[in-house]
Amino acid sequence: MSNSTLVRPRPATSTRGDRGPRLWQTGLLAVAAVVLLLVPIYLGTFWLQLGFSIFAVAVGAIGLNLLTGTTGQLSLAHPFFMAVGALTYVVLAGETSETSGGTVIGLGLPPLVGMVGAVFLSGVCGLAFSPVSGRLRGIYLGMASLALVFIGQHVLNTAVPLSGGFNGRPTPPFELFGLKFDYSDSPVVILGVPFGRLEWLWYLGLVLLAAAFLFARNLLRSRPGRAMKLVADSELAASVMGVPVMAYKGKVFFLSSIYAGLAGVMYALSIGSIAPQSFAMDLSMQFLAMIVIGGMGSVGGAVAGAAFVMSLPLVIQNFSAYIPFLSTDSGGITAAHLAKYIYGAAVIAVLLFKPSGLSGIWQSAVETYRRKTLSKQELVPSKEGN
Amino acid sequence: MNIDVPVLEVDDVVVRFGAVKALDGVTFRVEPGSIHSVIGPNGAGKSTMLNVLSGVYRPKSGSVRFGQQELVGMRPDKVTRLGVARAFQNLALSGGQSVEENLMLGRHALTRSGFLSSGLGWPTARAEERRHLRRVHEIADFLDLTPDLHSPVGELSYGSQKRVEIARALAMEPRILLLDEPVAGMNAGEKRYISSLIARIAKSLSISVVLVEHDMEMVMSLSDRVTVLDFGRRIADGTPVEVQADPAVIGAYLGTPAESTS
Amino acid sequence: MRFESLLLTGLSLGAVYALVALGFVILFKASEVLNFAHGSLVVLGAYVTARTHEIFGFFGAVLAGIIAAALAAVLIERLLIRPIRNAPVISLAIMTIGIEVLLNTELVRQIGVDIMTLGHPWGADTMTMGSLVIPVNRLIAIGTAVVVIAVFLVAFRFSSWGVSMRAAAEDRETAELVGLRLDRIAVVAWLIAGALAALAGVFLTGAPTPGLTPSLALIALRAFPAAIIGGLDSVAGALAGGMIIGLVEAFAAGYQSELAFLGRGIGDVLPFLVMIIVLIIRPQGLFGRKEFVRV
Repeated sequence: MSNSTLVRPRPATSTRGDRGPRLWQTGLLAVAAVVLLLVPIYLGTFWLQLGFSIFAVAVGAIGLNLLTGTTGQLSLAHPFFMAVGALTYVVLAGETSETSGGTVIGLGLPPLVGMVGAVFLSGVCGLAFSPVSGRLRGIYLGMASLALVFIGQHVLNTAVPLSGGFNGRPTPPFELFGLKFDYSDSPVVILGVPFGRLEWLWYLGLVLLAAAFLFARNLLRSRPGRAMKLVADSELAASVMGVPVMAYKGKVFFLSSIYAGLAGVMYALSIGSIAPQSFAMDLSMQFLAMIVIGGMGSVGGAVAGAAFVMSLPLVIQNFSAYIPFLSTDSGGITAAHLAKYIYGAAVIAVLLFKPSGLSGIWQSAVETYRRKTLSKQELVPSKEGN
Repeated sequence: MNIDVPVLEVDDVVVRFGAVKALDGVTFRVEPGSIHSVIGPNGAGKSTMLNVLSGVYRPKSGSVRFGQQELVGMRPDKVTRLGVARAFQNLALSGGQSVEENLMLGRHALTRSGFLSSGLGWPTARAEERRHLRRVHEIADFLDLTPDLHSPVGELSYGSQKRVEIARALAMEPRILLLDEPVAGMNAGEKRYISSLIARIAKSLSISVVLVEHDMEMVMSLSDRVTVLDFGRRIADGTPVEVQADPAVIGAYLGTPAESTS
Repeated sequence: MRFESLLLTGLSLGAVYALVALGFVILFKASEVLNFAHGSLVVLGAYVTARTHEIFGFFGAVLAGIIAAALAAVLIERLLIRPIRNAPVISLAIMTIGIEVLLNTELVRQIGVDIMTLGHPWGADTMTMGSLVIPVNRLIAIGTAVVVIAVFLVAFRFSSWGVSMRAAAEDRETAELVGLRLDRIAVVAWLIAGALAALAGVFLTGAPTPGLTPSLALIALRAFPAAIIGGLDSVAGALAGGMIIGLVEAFAAGYQSELAFLGRGIGDVLPFLVMIIVLIIRPQGLFGRKEFVRV
């Protein structure tokens, strides 16, 4: 590795000026927030379902971005921690029942407890693995983390009383303070819309995603965030700066496992059931695609990347009539295949041509707008980038 | 004003890379508040010496004492916390981050906000951040870096990057500053600027400076004492005047009379 | 009895894994890349062989497979790796992941639900040595692998390419300064890695497996732990790692009933478990070098 500190494919995180663009970006954010809040009132099942699954995956992507995008530690382990979260939730909050695989245990605890327990347990697993992750070079961690995915799948397949084995088991619906996130005969009606499972989940997802987003963003703008970025650039420089590198790598791994655990619970709620194949190596690669396409190191980028990758198959499916070469039989190209081609190619394209990803594209657009609205008297003398 | 800057004592330090003796029993003393240069032909062991001082290399034998503390065997981050700050030749900057962020990284050992308090935006974390930002702005101003504060370091000129590197080292509130060829690759004007900057730093902050440098004029005009290395051994140690006249030193740089080609 | 049979199986499997791991390590040394698309190169080679064995005959098809995989590898290097060779290793690794997604999707789609045969002339023949019954495929695998690896080691040690490769892997900057053509070294490395992968694919789809199915990708994936266990920057490590994984797999399958308490299918996870254990003890792999950074 060279000792150069120079240009890394990192998005131009807004280091310039907290003036103009911020103001209109805040305005835009407010509009977006209002729109998001109103979605369940105006849009139907398809969008609510898609939306919540995007929220779930976005939470995971934010966590992975902290580990891989910001701190430079390649990890494929996200599906493992999601599996831990999901499994813990269904065991804690579910009921003992019969499935095609046999009897599965459920403790029938309140779903909120289940969610907290799930996040806690994934954190514990993350903590247990973190000494290993702290000592490994960035890419060796990639392989070691892959091992976790296989171990996770094995456990899900064999621990039948917990997971329901190969066919999995259903996810118990979420419940908050006695309000069940499920369809009922006398639903709460808000603004003329009866609120069922999907409506409540939408808001739950928004809140959780917002919290996840804000925490990560605060982190990146402060002391630990700066240290994480330096660890990615040069562990030696970080060490000299007084950053305990191994401990930091371990802590970030732990943090990302917590994000993944929460994402796992949300994912389980979104799909409605858990099964081993939902948490396979496939998902590891999808997550990495999300953070690369979104722009590594950017929290907003992670969310954008998640939205992109998650919606691809569904959007293609919806518009399949307009795509001539799609077919549903196994010999042809299905929507699932096409989605994979697209995001695989997108990863390659981003790395080759625009490493800062969607976030970088957004930043460039903001910069261009800012420059255009700058009056002549305010001409900035110093170098402008990109 | 740093009134508690102790003496740095390097005592018989030996560093081996396989069969090669990079440093062969080097000894010298850096008096508090002085500018002490380490010079020598290429490959003499100067950078190795700095690596030992900052804890990156562990010597085979010998000791390095900063006041009462033995530095040999300490991890680099621990050495840093003792007040030993180093500005690197290859720059220890985070290219994607801004000048301000890099300077704040220099404050890492002086701050304590952790993951939880920072992520949650705790008032204590925020207050600490503001406090240290103010100090960092002062330091940036001292080095004329204020206009570039928000630019990504990777986009600055080489000369500016070097200034940021020195500023970053200063942000660590060091008691001793290790400078590794700070003017390498600079033109005469930039050299003069950095030179006077170093003098200002040593004087107004009363810290010790260990300077590894090739530019003789700069070394001789700035230093209080000079240690000369050749092939890992100390061949001279004294004031600039003494060292300039030392035949061993002249021999090391130009070759002994029998070997010189002119 | 059972032990010797398993030992032989393990060694032959190990030899094939060593071929894949070797290619993997060569790539790491040449381009500092963790090639997640390596499994797909194995499958690509096997697929081309399966498609062409009726046209070119078996040996012609094997050659075709080797050329296809080697060509694909070189194209990947030139078009996708070289442009970003100065990017952080993570970006390079993720680039190979993008390639893997594309290649794997297409290959799996092409193979479909069929079991393709590569037309091995020795088919499911077995040979009896004393009381051991071994598939001929396995014997030829060991033999071929040993010869190929030996040739490679000699070339690596003494050929100009080999020396240049080792120098470049040791210290890129200096290698460039003394005039070594890093580009050419990389191309040859990827070419060799592709060829080795295709060769391994031929043996991994022979007896006792029924033929080429999409699961070949998963099997090839086991070479990754093999390379890591040995240490990514060590050729000897790749060989040792391959052998270890082969033996682990053979014995796990052989003692399946004894290991049933760990769950069915533990054999798939074992290579990775072994890898984690090795990494905990030696984070740089068995023969890997501890990172040494000059400041």
